Order: sequence, then structure tokens, then C-alpha cells
Amino acid sequence: MKTAIALFIGLLCTTAVADNEFNLLRSDASGFTQVSPGLELSFPADHLPHPDYRIEWWYLTANLTDEDGQHWGIHWTLFRQSLRPEPDPGGWQSTQAWMAHAALSTPENHVYDERFARGGISQAGVELTAEGRFDAWLDDWQWLGTGTEPLPGTLVFTVSETRVELDLSSQTPWVLQGDNGYSQKAPSGQASAYYSQPHIDIAGQIQHNGNTFQVTGSGWLDREWSSQPLAPSQPGWDWFSLHLSSGDALMVYQLRDTQAPNTLNGIWVTPDGRFSSLSGDQITLSSKGETDVSTRAGTRKMPLRWSIEVPAHKVDIEVSAPRADHWLDTLFPYWEGPVSVTGSHQGKGYMELTGY
Amino acid sequence: MLRFTHLSKGYAQPDGFLPVLNDVSGEVARGESVALLGESGSGKSTLLHLVAGLDVPDHGTMLLNDISLTDASAQTWNRLRREHISLVFQDFHLIPTLNVDDNLKLQARLAGQLDLDFCNQLIERLGLTGLLHGLPGELSGGQQQRVAIARSLAHRPTLVLADEPTGNLDEQTAQDVMTLLIDCVRAANSSLLMVTHSPAMAAYLDRRWHLKAGELHED
Amino acid sequence: MKTERLTRIVWVNRVLLSHYRRHPLQAIFLLLGLTLGVALWSAVELINGHARTSYADAEQFLGADAHFWIRPTGENAAVSQQDYIRLRRLGFVELYPIIEARLQTREQDWLILLATDFMALPIADAQNNSSETATPFVGDALAFMTPPFQTAVPESLASELGINPGDQLTLTNGQRLPPATLQSRPQQGERLVVDMAAAFEVLNRDNFDYLGVTKLSASREQALRQALPEGLILTRNQQSLDLQELTDSLHIQLAAMGWLAFVVGLFIVFNAVRFSLWMRQATLTTLREMGIGLDDLALAIALEALFWSVLGTLLGGGLGFLLGNLLLPTVSSSLGSLYGAIITPTVTLTARHLLQAAIMTLLGVTVAVAGPIWLSARRSIRQQQHQTLDQQFQPRQLGVQSLSAVALLGLAALYYFQIDSVSDGFVLLALVLFGSALSLPPLLYGAFWLAARSMPASWWRLRWAMRDAFAQLPHLRIAMMALLLALVANLGVSTLVGSFRIAFTDWLTVRMSADVYVQSATLDADALLTQAPLKVQASHARTGLNLRWQDRPTEIRGVNTQAPDMRSLPLALSEPNALSQWAEQGHLRPILANEQVHHLAGVNLGESVSLPTDTGTVDFQVVGFFHDYGNPYYAFYLPKATVSQYWKNAQPMGLAIWLQDTNLQAFEPDLLDAGAEPGDWIDQRQLMSVALQIFERTFAITGALNTLTLGVAGVALFAALMSIHQQRLHQYAHWRALGVNQQEWLLIVGGPLAGMVMVTGLLAIPLGAVLSALLIADINIIAFGWSMPLNWSWHPVANLAILTTLTLILTGLTALWRVQRQLPNALIRLGGTA
Repeated sequence: MKTAIALFIGLLCTTAVADNEFNLLRSDASGFTQVSPGLELSFPADHLPHPDYRIEWWYLTANLTDEDGQHWGIHWTLFRQSLRPEPDPGGWQSTQAWMAHAALSTPENHVYDERFARGGISQAGVELTAEGRFDAWLDDWQWLGTGTEPLPGTLVFTVSETRVELDLSSQTPWVLQGDNGYSQKAPSGQASAYYSQPHIDIAGQIQHNGNTFQVTGSGWLDREWSSQPLAPSQPGWDWFSLHLSSGDALMVYQLRDTQAPNTLNGIWVTPDGRFSSLSGDQITLSSKGETDVSTRAGTRKMPLRWSIEVPAHKVDIEVSAPRADHWLDTLFPYWEGPVSVTGSHQGKGYMELTGY
Repeated sequence: MLRFTHLSKGYAQPDGFLPVLNDVSGEVARGESVALLGESGSGKSTLLHLVAGLDVPDHGTMLLNDISLTDASAQTWNRLRREHISLVFQDFHLIPTLNVDDNLKLQARLAGQLDLDFCNQLIERLGLTGLLHGLPGELSGGQQQRVAIARSLAHRPTLVLADEPTGNLDEQTAQDVMTLLIDCVRAANSSLLMVTHSPAMAAYLDRRWHLKAGELHED
Repeated sequence: MKTERLTRIVWVNRVLLSHYRRHPLQAIFLLLGLTLGVALWSAVELINGHARTSYADAEQFLGADAHFWIRPTGENAAVSQQDYIRLRRLGFVELYPIIEARLQTREQDWLILLATDFMALPIADAQNNSSETATPFVGDALAFMTPPFQTAVPESLASELGINPGDQLTLTNGQRLPPATLQSRPQQGERLVVDMAAAFEVLNRDNFDYLGVTKLSASREQALRQALPEGLILTRNQQSLDLQELTDSLHIQLAAMGWLAFVVGLFIVFNAVRFSLWMRQATLTTLREMGIGLDDLALAIALEALFWSVLGTLLGGGLGFLLGNLLLPTVSSSLGSLYGAIITPTVTLTARHLLQAAIMTLLGVTVAVAGPIWLSARRSIRQQQHQTLDQQFQPRQLGVQSLSAVALLGLAALYYFQIDSVSDGFVLLALVLFGSALSLPPLLYGAFWLAARSMPASWWRLRWAMRDAFAQLPHLRIAMMALLLALVANLGVSTLVGSFRIAFTDWLTVRMSADVYVQSATLDADALLTQAPLKVQASHARTGLNLRWQDRPTEIRGVNTQAPDMRSLPLALSEPNALSQWAEQGHLRPILANEQVHHLAGVNLGESVSLPTDTGTVDFQVVGFFHDYGNPYYAFYLPKATVSQYWKNAQPMGLAIWLQDTNLQAFEPDLLDAGAEPGDWIDQRQLMSVALQIFERTFAITGALNTLTLGVAGVALFAALMSIHQQRLHQYAHWRALGVNQQEWLLIVGGPLAGMVMVTGLLAIPLGAVLSALLIADINIIAFGWSMPLNWSWHPVANLAILTTLTLILTGLTALWRVQRQLPNALIRLGGTA
């Protein structure tokens, strides 16, 4: 379904000049609460929205396999935005706006969809239901927890007539990124509150082209909110979430900077959920070449092969995307797709490249 | 040069057939000027019309520089009238909406044979220099006829056919025009066949023919 | 060889065109005729084409596809938020909410307000999702959704109502609309647009009027129908098709006017081209003498024709564009009021239009030019040399014209019995018009011949004048025909409009006899009537619903048969005692229908109609047809009880109240007490004036086109006169030399002209009557189904007489002035060569 995309841009971009969509993320946080160090996250409260902060998301990626060994990639995100730094009156005059992306990497192709909704009218939101269950939805895309937490829970969504129903659960605790959840993005101080769940067990089914596939695999949930996650000199980021054959999970991300050195961060999570942050000097991340990716605006060259070294954990791997066609020509366009890991470790993961 | 042999032409009338030309023959050499005299109704205009292609003879042949004029197609006649045969009329037949300069150059342009030098010569000879930007309507009869003469000769045609060219002019003007006409015809090295009822005018030309009762005699 | 010919042709053209340098007036008139004709035709074409494209737009709502609507039924008047959200959460993301409210401002202007959720509105044409796509709104879209919100006002509406950016319109209920911003979305027309949040606040409500639905596959449609709760119904959006069908007649009428204007313009062109060729006859002959063949001449003339056509088309197209834009708002508002059509306010000129106009003018000019060329072709050079410039009286031509006239009129008479569509009707009109036009020259000749013969010999001046008519007539006959056409069309249409106006006003007075009309969702009608029994003389509460019958939108109304406006319902055709029969509701189920049902659907008195009800189709017997002017739809009246018996979904359709003393002010508090909101009612005076306004606007276009066509004819006359005088100048000089003075000259030259115009005018009157009879009794009925009596008024005749006389005087004086100026020269040249 086509949506009022340009309108959403107009809405979201409070800056007059909107020649790059990601300006939103760079713009001044005036009026909104800033993420500051000394953050203390508590659950399940922090699973719910933080309207004082401008931008927030609930971000799931997963690599699944069906009974025949075919690979399915899942990417489902719910974005929230506060339009103005005022208390939310709710209803149709709500200050909140929602956007959701769902992308499916099927054995044959890549399908995705983008939706928008205003907050306050029950069309979208993240709340606790009357029975106290975690509920994150936009139209008929819904993540419903069995309790107040998202996990265990079920995620249901449709993309291009393919219906995905997944049961999600995890045995390990929430991972706090950065410094206890305070994740600095740039030397000048832009930061976000950031936590993840890298070990999500998934089982479910996908109805695609008249067939039903039973799928299982691992997923990764990122939760983040901020009022200014990017500095003005930062065009975008490269983000990797990897499930290694050893059972560990590795996340690496790099915020590219035109004026200062790139901000590089990561986290290492053991199979039983112990995590340790990785600073920039513990990681070596380099791009290994570019590939042509076709987008609506033409062909772009994107770096779809990277090498990552984390000596502290004896990681020397090459991460590459088996398929290049995962560009999302959405309101904020970006590349997001499954990757394979080779080298010192095998594995699978997801890669996100923004700001190209 | 023009040669016609055994030309006959008659018209059907309510009370029978009226013969006008009866087996006439003649020749006009290149550069020659011939006057065609005769009384009203003697057929002189008819002969002129036949040579101009404005009418078709009943019998006989006509040749212009070895081009057969009898049985010539309309297309051939058009080309002949453009390039080889020009006409000068008693009432000038100038284009009223063109100025003198354009008028006198028109025939040459239509024939695709504009020679500016020769045109200027003619303009000088005919004394038209000061009149070039006027319209025919503003000129006197004599002046108009001079323009007509210039037009007829600008492309140096083989033959000029003139039908009573001084008929509308007073005596003095007529004499001036005749002098100029002969002068220019010679300059263009064209032949001239002129119909006139005035022996005085005829005297200006090299030869004189008489048409009487449908027959042609030379003087 | 080729270039030689090309150069030759170029020179021939230069010679031919030099004529216009010396006679610029001819060029002006030629161009004028072309330009005016093309302008009027293309203005109408542009308006029609534009309107028709806009109907296709009815498939969309503010840029989003609207293939279906979800509307409330039964007790509900609105779609609740809960239902909407529920459907969306079921996955029906093709839905979006709509409010469409009719509001009245403090300044008494009625406006329509649209609202939707712009975050849910699926823009159909957002093909490229790049951020470079123009925003649906120019400017800050956030302002629409953020208090104090914004109102999108189309520029044309803003300038009409004097709204500046930032202005806040105040409504009669005291609420203020958000600040205005001048911009317009697709299909917005003359309506205001706000965000749903703003609408809820201003209108103090929290539900929607209906939902829009984009494309649905068959299975999706099925799923949606099943998912719909009680009280909501999914209907297809038929508006586009309906609009096309309903407005067809109107557009054909406009097109007919445009064609008429074009034809009259062509008359001018015809005249001018013929005349200019005639004036150049000597030149043409001289060219032939100089060896230019007929093929070259024909080619050159054809090129000249092409030149004029192209020039005329460009000028006419440009003028038509301006004219179309000028006339469009009026047409748009008529279409909007009558049919609910939304037309965007500006017209665009396309290459296709220009091409069409070019081809038509080229054809017209070629036809004008073909005659003389063909005639020339038949003549040898010698014959042409002896051709005089004076146009001869050609009895054979007259004979041909008379025969053609008779043939056309005869054909018209036969065709009359065959017509059953609007196009047929206009073909008939064309036959009548052209038959009459062709009969004019013979009539004129006959008139003058008779006049000349019957005058005594001593009136030699007059007899000279009459005979001079014969010299003038060949030049003037075409202008006279153009004049006749324009006069007849004018009279016919004026009579139509006049008759319509009378019928409409009379009908309106009877139908709208109540003092106040109330439409309120919150009014407690019973309370009102019991509270103020002394003030209320009578009341009429109607119910009804809309459905489709014979594939057209149809209104079913449940009425109170004893109400004052029902007892005196103006019936067009009825059985005796129809009104009492119908009130009694015998076992035959009698029904009243509007006369459109009779004329357009072909139902006769006493026949039965099958209407779709809740329980299946039910037959009703038609006992009467009532007049229903201005209604494009079918309508059926039944007693209220019957309607609620067969249709559960019938809604209240307003309350009409007759007051004891027509003091609405005194009554208003009672209305408020009973629950009505300010702005829920309208008094009779206002209602009548709005209705009449719509009427006048609709016919304003016809009036404008008519007047313009008359203007074109006037120009034709003027041009023809100028050309005659031009050509006869040397004759006038002769006359002057003979001693004819100014008064005598005026008599001889002006007399026949006045006579011709008089004869033409007199002929126009009965023909105008015939035309209006055809329009009223046949075409109007076929087109709209509205019947009315023909009301002949001498007013338009008087007006036209004055107009034509003025034109005559104007041209006469101008002619006199020109002749005076040119006579001295002509006199000089009379003397012959200088």
C-alpha cells in the first residue's frame, strides 16, 4: 500500500531543509529530553515508549530456516516519533507519529512494506493491554507479549500477501549497550538509550505463495531511543548483528563521520547472556569492496563485504551479504539484509547500512 | 526564332462558321521586330493569341526555336510563357499591390533567371530609376507601360508579343514608349511581334505584316 | 528542378500576399473571423474536455484512489472511530476516513469542508517514494496536523470570498476554522480541506461521514464485506460513470453552441477569402499570363490558406484558452451545484486541441477557396481576362440555393420524427438552421425584386436603391446568413431560458412554500412541534433514501401526503385524482414519480415500476408525474408509512415548517430549544435565492456564448460592408461625378442594406420561435426530462432589434466616413491615366 510518504517527511522534518532524509536524526533536540549518562533502565517499564524523547524504535531481525533448509530473513521495525516537545493530549491531536517497516527475505526474492499511522487513535502504539500484556502494533502488524515483556511473545505481520507468524522467546537477560544503556554516538555528545536482546529463539510459520513453511531460527531485538542520535557531521552508520557458530553474539556498529573519526562500538554477548562492551580500539572494521545495488533512483555501489576483527575474542571474520537486493526504497531509504559469516567463526546475522 | 506555317483559325457562330485566319505563314528571326497591322476584326489579335498559346489553331504548325508549339501541353505552354515568350498588353497588366521594382523583376524571378545587372540597365534605359518604390496605381500610363516593358524583357526572352502597347497613350508618350521598346528589345536580343493599327507606330519596327481577309502579306 | 518550383511558388505567394499589405483590413477581417470562431469553439471544447476529465477524477479522493465507499446505513448517520480502527487492525489498510460537511459562514457563504487522516491517505500517484517527490501540500505539512492547524483554501475560492492567508473563517455556530493557506489538492475543487483533528475540533464531533477504499481484489472485497459490522455497507464508487452520463446533455448543448460560433466565424472567413480572391483576380490572370500554371496557383493559394489557418488557430486557440478560463468558474459551479461534480479551476490547452482547431479551420478555408479555384480552372486565360470584377447576379446559384434550402428543411421535417437523443436533436436544429440560412438569399432577392417592381416610376431614387440591392447582395448574402443564424440562435435560446425561468420560478414558489427548512441530526422534531403549536401552521417531515434504479442514482422520498406542499404538488402528467389516490394507498401501491422518469426512463402513466426494497423488488403503479426541475436524478414519492414499510434504512430528510406569522426571528429560539444547532435551518427566501442563483449561473454561459456569437455575426456584417465599399469605390466616384449627393448616396447604398437586415430580422422571428419550440418541447425533454410551456416574450426581439440597428448605424457611419475619405482620390482617378 502506498502511503503519504512525502507527507510523513514533511511532518518529521522540522528543519526547513530536508534534502537528506536522515537530517531528522541529526537535527537539534531542542525541547526534547536528551539522553544523559547515568541512565538507569528498568524493565518492563522501559519496553514501553518514552514520549519525552524524539525518536524511538523496536527493531527485530532474524535468520530462519524452514523444514527444507531454505533460508528466510526477517526484519520488522516499529518507529515512533514525537512531533513536538509538548505533553501528549492524545486522540487525534496526539504528538506521536508511528512508522513500521517489515521486510522479508524469501528464497526467491526480497519483499517489504512501509506503513504510517498517527498516534493517539489506537491505530498504532506500544502499550500494555487491559490484561497487562505488552502490545506493539500498527494496523494488523502486532507484537503481543504473553506478559508485560515482549518476550515471550508472538509477532504477526503480512508483507505483500505473505503472512508471518512467529513465536519469540529468550532465556537470557536484556543486554545494556554502551555504558549501562547510555550509548554515545559521537564525540560531540549525541547519544541514545540502547538495549538489546541478541538471543531470541524463534519458531513459527510463513504462508507464502500458497504454501506454509514451518520456520525456526535466531533473532535479535534492538531497542533504542534518543532525541538526537546523529551529529550533524555524521551521514549514517553501518551496523552488524551476528550470531556466531560458537553461540556467542557479536554486534558491531560504526557511525561514519565527515569531520571527526568514525565512532566505532560493539558488544560481545556469550551464549548465557553475559555481555561486555567493545570500544573502538578493540574492533577493526573495514569494507572489502562494493557491489552494485539497484534502487529506484538508479544503481548504487554499496559495501556489502566487510572484515571484522576483534582480537580480544579471537574474532577474525568476513561478513558478506549473499544477496545484494535488500535496498529498502522507503521514506528513509537504507539497506538491510541477512549476512553470512566466514573466517575464524561461521554464522549468520543481519547488516544495516544507512546514509548512503 | 518563330516560324508558323499554314495557320488557320475560325470561330463557330450562331449563323455558321467564321474563318479569321486562313492559311497564314511567316517567320520572325531572332532579334527581329515585326509589326502586325490590320483593321479591327482582321485577325491580328487572333494570330497573336495563337502564338502566345492563349488559343489553339484549327490547322497549321508553329515552331519556336524548333520547339513545336502546336499540340504543346499546358505545362509546356506555362514554361514557354515563363521563360521564352513574354506578353505586353494595352492595359499594362501590372500587379497593383507590388511596387515598381518588384513588378519589373517578377517575370524574371518566376522564370528563375534574374539578372540584376541587366535589370538595372533596363531601369536606366527606361528612365524608371526614381519610380522604383511607387505603386503602379500612382504612375501615369506611359510610366506603367515602361514598367511592363522592363518586366517583359528582364529575362531576355526569345519572343516578346505586344498587343497594341501604345493604345492607351497619347501621341507624344506613345512615341517615347515605342522608341524605348525597340531600344530595349534590341538590348535584350529578343524578337518582337507587335500588333498595332497605327502605321506610325509600325514604322518603328523592322518589318511590317498586313492581315487582310484572313491572309497575311508582308510589306 | 524541385528548387526551381519552390522558388517560383514562394514568389507567387509573395505576390498573392502583397495584396494584404495594401488592403490590411481584409487580412484583419479574415483573421478576426478565424480567431473568433476558433476561440469560441475551443473555449467550449476546453471546458467540456476539462470537465469530462475531472469526472474521471471522481474515482479519486484528494489524490487517493476511491473505488469503493463504506457508508453508514440504518440508524447510523456516521462511521465510528472504533469501527474504522477495528477494520484497520484486521488488516484492511485500504481504508481511510472522510468527513464531508456543509457549513455556513457568518457572511452567509455556504462552503464544503473535507477532512481526512493524511497519514492514512494512500496517495495514488506516489510512484516514486523518493523524498524528491513534491509534498502533497506545498509548505509545512506538519502545520496541518498541529494545533492551531491549517485550512487549505483553493485560490479561486479565496479570491471569490476575499480570504487572505492566515484568515480564519467564522461559522454560524461561532466556531472558527483554522488559519487559511492558499493551496489546492487534486479533486479539491472549490472545497476546503483540513486534517481530521481540526475537523473534529471545529465540528465538535468524533466520527466520520464515510470511509474511502482504494482498489480491492475480488477476494479482498469479499473479505471486507464479511468483516463489516452491522450498520456499515460497502458500495462501489459509481460517481465517475454517473457524472459522465448525467452531464452528457449539458456538454452536448455547450458543444453545440461552440460549433455554432465556429460556423458563424467560418462565414466571415468564407466571405473574406472569397472576396480577397476576387479582388486579386486580375493579379491571378496576370500570373497565368506570365506562365504560372493552375497547379502552381492552386498550390500557392492552398499555402496561403494554410498560413491563415495556422495563424488563426494559434490566435484563436490562445483567445479560446483565456475565454475558457474566464467561463470555467461559472460552468464549474453549475456542474457542482447540479451534479455534485468537482472541477479543478483552471483549464489547460493541449496540442490536440490546437491540432483539431487547425484542421477544422483549414477545411473551412479550403472550402472557401476551392470554389474560385475550380471556376478558374474551367476558364482559359482569355476568358479570365474578360471577367469583370463586378459580381454578377447569378440566377443559377440562387436556384441551387433555394433547392438546397428546401431539401434541408424537408429533411429536417422528416428527421423530426426520428429524434430520440440529444445529438439527434442538435442535428435537427442544424438542419433547420442551415436550411433557413440557405433560403435567405433567394428570399432577399425576391423581396427586392418585388419591391422594385411595385414602386411607382416617379420614385426613381428608391427604385435605383432596390436595384442596387442586386449589386450589394452577392457580397452581403453570406454576412446576412451569418446574421440570421446568430439571431435565430439568440432568439431561440433566449426564449428557452425565459420560459425556463418562468416555469422554474413558478414551480419553486409552489414547492418551496414553507417558511423554514430544518436539517438537523440533533433536533427533536416532536418536541418542537408540541412546544410551539401556535407558531407552527403546518409542518412536513420527510424521510427517504437513495438507491439505484435503471442504473441511475434515484431518490426515494417518504412524504406526508397531507402536507401543504404535497397537496399542491405541481403535476406534469397525472391521472385524475392522482393526489388523493396516492394518499389512500390502495392495494395497487400507487406512486408518484418525477417527470424525468417519464421522459428519460420511458415509463408511462399507469405503468408499474419495480423498485429494489429490503425484501426484494416490489412493483408500484405510477399515477402521476411531478415537475422536478434541476434534479438530474430520478425521484419517487410515497407516503412515509409505505417507505418505512419497504426500506428500513430510510433516514429523516429534513423538516419543512409553515409558520403562522412568517417571523423566523421569533421562531429561532424554539428551534434552539428543541435541539437544533445554529446553521441547521434555512429560510425560504434564502433557499429560493440560492436555487435561482444556480439557475442563472447555469444559463449565464449559454447567454455569454450567444452574445459572443451575435458579436461574431456583427463583425461579419461589418467586414462585408467594408469590402463592398472598397470594391465599389470607383462606382461611387462615378455617381458623385454624375451629381449624386450624400443623402441620395446614403439612400441608395444604405436603403437596401437596411431592407436586407429587416427582412433577415423578420425571418429570424418565426425561425427563432420554431427553434425555441424545438428546444423546449423536444431537446430539453430528451436531454433533461424537464417539460415546460413555451413563453414567448418580445423582450429579446426588442433587444436584438436594438443591437442590430446599432450595428447597422455603426457600420453605415463608418462606411460613410471611409468613402468620404477615399472619394477625392477615386474621383481623380476617374479621369483615367494621368
